[in-house]
Amino acid sequence: MSAVDLTQFHKTFFEESREGLDAMEAALLALDSGSTDHELVHTIFRAAHSIKGGAATFGFSDVAAFTHVAESLLEEVRSERRAVEAELIDLMLRSVDCLRAMLARSSSGQPVADADSEALRGELMRLASGEAAVATVVAPKAAPANGWDIRFVALPHLLQTGNDPLRLFRELQQLGRLEVRRAFVVDRAPARLADLDPSQCHLGWELRLHGAVARGDVDAVFDWLDGDCELAVEAMAEETPAAAAEPAPAGVPAATPAPAADPRPARETAVASSEGGSIRVGIDKVDALINMMGELVITQSMLSDIGENFQLSQLERLREGLLQLERTTRELQESVMRIRMLPIGSVFNRFPRLVRDLERKLGKQVKLELHGEHTELDKTVLEKIGDPLVHLVRNAIDHGLEMPAQRKAAGKAETGTLKLNAYHEGGNIVVQISDDGAGLNHAAIVAKAQQRGLIAAGQELSDAEVAELIFQPGFSTAAQATDLSGRGVGMDVVRRNVRDLGGSVGVRSESGKGSVFTIALPLTLAIIDGLVTAVGHERYIVPLTSIVESLRLRPEAVRRIAGGGEVFHFRDEYLPIMRLHRAFGCADAITDIERGIVVVIEDDNRRVGLLVDELLGQQQAVIKSLEAHYRRVQGVSGATILSDGSVALIVDVGGVVRLGRRSKAA
Amino acid sequence: MAGKRAAKQKDDGREPAADDAAVVVLPPDCRLAAQAALKAELLGVLEKGAIVVLDGSQVERADTAALQLLVLFRRELQACGGTLDWRGASETLNEAAGLLGLAQILELPAAGLA
Repeated sequence: MSAVDLTQFHKTFFEESREGLDAMEAALLALDSGSTDHELVHTIFRAAHSIKGGAATFGFSDVAAFTHVAESLLEEVRSERRAVEAELIDLMLRSVDCLRAMLARSSSGQPVADADSEALRGELMRLASGEAAVATVVAPKAAPANGWDIRFVALPHLLQTGNDPLRLFRELQQLGRLEVRRAFVVDRAPARLADLDPSQCHLGWELRLHGAVARGDVDAVFDWLDGDCELAVEAMAEETPAAAAEPAPAGVPAATPAPAADPRPARETAVASSEGGSIRVGIDKVDALINMMGELVITQSMLSDIGENFQLSQLERLREGLLQLERTTRELQESVMRIRMLPIGSVFNRFPRLVRDLERKLGKQVKLELHGEHTELDKTVLEKIGDPLVHLVRNAIDHGLEMPAQRKAAGKAETGTLKLNAYHEGGNIVVQISDDGAGLNHAAIVAKAQQRGLIAAGQELSDAEVAELIFQPGFSTAAQATDLSGRGVGMDVVRRNVRDLGGSVGVRSESGKGSVFTIALPLTLAIIDGLVTAVGHERYIVPLTSIVESLRLRPEAVRRIAGGGEVFHFRDEYLPIMRLHRAFGCADAITDIERGIVVVIEDDNRRVGLLVDELLGQQQAVIKSLEAHYRRVQGVSGATILSDGSVALIVDVGGVVRLGRRSKAA
Repeated sequence: MAGKRAAKQKDDGREPAADDAAVVVLPPDCRLAAQAALKAELLGVLEKGAIVVLDGSQVERADTAALQLLVLFRRELQACGGTLDWRGASETLNEAAGLLGLAQILELPAAGLA
């Protein structure tokens, strides 16, 4: 036994356990919403059982002990000696949260059992075997922490993200008595006031939060500050633990784990991925890959056969072989890419729970509808899209949907509907979060923007412009601040995260009818299908997905407008012509519009016509970052290497359309 | 926004502000957007006086950046041998400074004295 190093299996155990917990949670939520399917109970039981078994095998005795109690309770349900009651489901859901936290701590080598888990274990045991058990359950070490010591040092850019320690401390105050043990100016602060940039933060604090506060609640306050501060939270060292030894009252923590449950696992996965995360791949995808590989080997041997003793008569066969090679390579590439693709359902799955908890906390009624869970996204994109989505969902429920009474008064159903939808559109994955709530509060946003000096007083704004305001850094209509959202951290972070992924986020809102947030994400970050065009001696690649049509214009179709711009008539509208040679400064290019070719491109429903010399063909381009090798260039999203070894630039459609529209407006 | 020496001798019975004391009145909205101006003003008085009197009685809104500015101002003022006096501080300012644990460093008077 000792010869086997069990630690090598730990990672698998953690992964499987997390999946088990996800399954448990989903089944619990199904039971909660009234399902009577007995199989659900079995699912929950099995998950608990295998976590217990694994934990015991790998020596995580605290996890095993905890799960054991939960399991015995579940066994009673399974054998129908106990009814499925709301209290039980609640307790089990909290156990799921608790186990997640315990597993996260085990995987990072921290002590596993803490005050929360022991208190919860006490509750489980009490439920399992009657009230009498309480006294024996709570072992001395089981005392909940009396508080937390928090060391919080702001990084310079903290304030620029819209986070203000003041607000964070206020939130902490809601949890318990907050004592600032020490506030200090960090060493990197400029020595002279003259050198201080007021928007940079150079303060740090040692705080103590008194009271039996769950760790998760503390973490929730600092949620979204990842990378904006240095943070250390430790259970308070001294003070006698006896005073708070009784388990926390059932009602109080029940509402709170929600914010805690999400950030933590997310943060853990981030850690895991940085140390070389793993991915689970369906066997069908692997089989497809092996198939492709087989094809490739066949093609290769055929080609080398031709090459051995080549005669001109075999030219046709050579061509055929090359064609086949191209096809197989493309398919192989697609199969490889598909390995990284995971269904977005894995992200959506956390929402039923989030919604349920928010509903209870806010006293709202929400019906969650999920669509398109099978839409696949690149794993990297998927991992990073979770937090922004959580934020949008929280916002929608907190700010968007009204209280049942208000809804009734407005003639709507008391239960609000929150829809999450994912689908393909062009080369993008689109994720939509829509609610049938009150919509954006036009007046409040404008007032806030004026107060912040973003717009001048009395300035008239269109709905779209107002919607755009909420994406400004630090913008939050603080009047409606709650502990869920409205910390002033918000949509700008969402937009930043989405932009980091090469995507875009926008909002459409109708007063009284609701809002729709739309996130568009690229399918993959690495390869695009492009049209190679020639401009002078240069080659430019236009992403295929954004091309509407390409055409040759007759001279009379082109109109000059005041200011030197040129437009042409295209399907009921006039589009500006953007001369690529002029925009990018290419010599020896065709300047007569009727001799060149106009490629109509579209971004965000806006179109422009690009004038190029000629079209050379369609090609897949592996995107190389221009920024990494040179610097950012307006209108260019990257570069690629063509088959002849030369470099071609990839046209940034969004940027070019904006440029073109501006020159038309000018 | 009040100038440097705007309210020089409005004696509220607390501040024995000497004649050469520079007075800076903190603006009602003392948050990040106002701080470039405030910083310039503070820098101005830093060169001048040994005694700087801050009037925080009008502050209706404050943030961490504001308090940080004041803390760093006081630090530099002390380093130059100057002293900081308060002609009053609003409840908002006191609450914010208290919450951030900076009230003592800033030697803020309690609200209501203003």
